[in-house]
Amino acid sequence: MAFVKTQKTKAYFKRYQVKFKRRRQGKTDYRARIRLINQDKNKYNTPKYRFVVRFTNKDITCQIISATIAGDLVLAAAYSHELPRYGLEVGLTNYAAAYCTGLLVARRVLKKLEMEGEYEGNVEATGEDYSVEPSENRRPFRALLDVGLVRTTTGNRVFGALKGALDGGIDIPHSDKRFAGFKKDGKQLDAEVHRSYIFGGHVANYMRQMEEDEPEKYQAHFSEYLKKGITADDMEALYKKVHAAIRADPSVVKSTKEAPKEHKRYNLKKLTYDQRRASLLERLNALNSGGAADDDDDE
Amino acid sequence: MPAGHGLRSRTRDSFSRPFRKKGYIALTTYLRTYKIGDYVDVKVNGAVHKGMPHKFYHGRTGGVWNVTKRAIGVEINKQVGNRIIRKRIHVRVEHVMPSRCNEEFKLRKKKNDELKAAAKARGEIISTKRQPEGPKPGFMVEGASVPPWRLLLPSLAML
Repeated sequence: MAFVKTQKTKAYFKRYQVKFKRRRQGKTDYRARIRLINQDKNKYNTPKYRFVVRFTNKDITCQIISATIAGDLVLAAAYSHELPRYGLEVGLTNYAAAYCTGLLVARRVLKKLEMEGEYEGNVEATGEDYSVEPSENRRPFRALLDVGLVRTTTGNRVFGALKGALDGGIDIPHSDKRFAGFKKDGKQLDAEVHRSYIFGGHVANYMRQMEEDEPEKYQAHFSEYLKKGITADDMEALYKKVHAAIRADPSVVKSTKEAPKEHKRYNLKKLTYDQRRASLLERLNALNSGGAADDDDDE
Repeated sequence: MPAGHGLRSRTRDSFSRPFRKKGYIALTTYLRTYKIGDYVDVKVNGAVHKGMPHKFYHGRTGGVWNVTKRAIGVEINKQVGNRIIRKRIHVRVEHVMPSRCNEEFKLRKKKNDELKAAAKARGEIISTKRQPEGPKPGFMVEGASVPPWRLLLPSLAML
């Protein structure tokens, strides 16, 4: 091989400062985290809750979390894989499902704090900007939206979850600028458009359009919907039922599956010194016996 | 040109961040709570420019007398001429850490309370006072041999 000048010398490694672990993993934005967690010192140990919304490829996670030195504590959590319990089986990562998950976690938290009667929130999802009004006895539950590393564009699903939590009765400071349906030129939220997103109207339109234009692609793309018998016109009624079911019973159902006795190993087990030495000897012997040279160093 | 005497003069090393610890500050500094009466050490964090104390207070320890939104009021003794003044400064939380100066005292207080409660249950009276270290006990020196010419000295004659 030609002589390549080493880029990373020993000095480079000696002076290298690693970033925080979660930054190396690309999971936490510390600039945002510091600002979300920082509590006024004259409020001492009062927890500051953040409403965390994270999306994976097939799931939505909404949690209410407070931070401590030992680690973050989760007050309530809702996942979109719980939505089949309320009647929603397909489209678990779309804007409408995000709304449902946000609504679910909001009702859970309020139930846990015994405030669910006082703070009904917005029962009729109209898509308009709704903020909780403080009632007589207790002040509303306040949380701050924690988006994570998502780019906050207008119509992002995290704002769908935000809207769900707001309508559920949680006080989250926000503006309607990033809800789906906000017109930049009019500088106003089009409540009708937002409402259609909350009830999966955008998915329904796509279904209708695809059914007309490309029927085979439609069969492939919306196969799960067709299997469950959900058509474009059923969407709104379906989501209305899901919202009602969530408000009726937001309690957590523990899974009855047992924890596996032995956890599955995802990475290779580290070998001991003897094992590594033995494997090295094996490899060297194989190399030497296979190769032309007759040098027998067992080192 | 002469050296200046500005606010942060001569702080090149003391205010600089330690080797490989630059950048974002760990979150525990923000999560700690301080109550009035706690002891805190003042240690300047050069990465945060607001709420920095004057370089004199770097490394001093004082008691908390005030807690505001983002800062702590610390009372520190400063010798000015022939007297010591109690100075009250406000410092942001990033420049403050809880002091361990009275940690030993607090632990001893707790232990003594337990001992006293246990002794009271038994009906005994105990003293929880700390005793100073006494003189070391006597011991035999093993394996020491005296060269014969030293035996000629009268003080060692008995060996």
